[in-house]
Amino acid sequence: MSQVREPAFDRIVALVLRTGAFSCFFVMLAGLIVGFFTKGRLPSDIERAGVLLMLATPVVRVMVACYLFFHEKDRKYGFISLGVLVILMLGALFGIGEH
Amino acid sequence: MVSVLLVVLGFFAGLLGALTGIGGGVLLTPILAIHFGIPIRQAIGTSLVAVITTSAASSSVHLQRHTTDIRLGMTLELATAFGAAVTAYLVGYFNRSALEGLFAAFLLYSSFTILKRGGKVKPEETLATEANGKRNGGQFSIPAYEPQRYPLGLSMSLVAGAMSGLLGIGGGPLKVPLMYIFMKVPLVVATATSNFMIGVTAAASAIVYYRRGDILVEVAAPLAVGVFLGSLLGARVAPRINTRHLAYLLVAIMLYLAGSLLVHLFRGGLA
Repeated sequence: MSQVREPAFDRIVALVLRTGAFSCFFVMLAGLIVGFFTKGRLPSDIERAGVLLMLATPVVRVMVACYLFFHEKDRKYGFISLGVLVILMLGALFGIGEH
Repeated sequence: MVSVLLVVLGFFAGLLGALTGIGGGVLLTPILAIHFGIPIRQAIGTSLVAVITTSAASSSVHLQRHTTDIRLGMTLELATAFGAAVTAYLVGYFNRSALEGLFAAFLLYSSFTILKRGGKVKPEETLATEANGKRNGGQFSIPAYEPQRYPLGLSMSLVAGAMSGLLGIGGGPLKVPLMYIFMKVPLVVATATSNFMIGVTAAASAIVYYRRGDILVEVAAPLAVGVFLGSLLGARVAPRINTRHLAYLLVAIMLYLAGSLLVHLFRGGLA
């Protein structure tokens, strides 16, 4: 049975995504507001932090799901999540193609 | 000021996306390329950030309704993330005209699909189940099911992921029918799970775009702020709005953008 029947699991993953989305929103908004008052590197550094936080959110979501699967002794899906994590990490490690 | 304009643009893309179920990336990439003079590869990378924002916000809602199949999503993500990372990497070697041409073709294809369905962006069954869920106080009754044909599912997910990495789109129009028709997953679950997968798929390619310097943070941040607000509002007003007119509006915008891209292309590429 693949159908999800674990409300707690859904809630935890939802919490990760919501926290990620809201914190990125506020960080980026802060960057925009700071950008109205000051020039220079600060606003764009804050915005960069927001973007990186957004890119990290799905990665953290996979990590959390991976942990939860192993915690539930569902090793098959634990390893599947680990596989997804490895693919995401490969992109981060081998950022080749820079021109 | 440009950033205010970008917030507004993101807001409307997010709103339209939430109302019609067509992701904002499809509109944002060509608008950035045509009207903001951003090279298409950076336009794709930049709008991927907005795509991840939308997916995170909306799939957290689906998760709370327990309509997402996390196991199925995670399994297919093996293929979508891999496909997305590979094409995101290859895009570094594509020339601008090829990408613009592909994107224009994709816009035309999407427009014709919506027109063929008579302006219905969401299939009837989703609407019925959503209405049902509202009557039962947010509880969805999902019939028991077991996903079928994993090999087919994984190979089509690879294609969906590859498209996503290439064009910076979510790939919902490919994944939803895949899960619903071929894998025999109920439509509500297919929709929620597709949405759930978009975040990881887009992140797999966005990380590669970022490393290559193809994400313009000073554009991505205002866009994402706007998209976030627009999709929040869209999700609230969606049940009270006739989406058919909006779908035609969307088709009109997509056709205009496809036309502009093609004009650029034949003039030798402004963007």
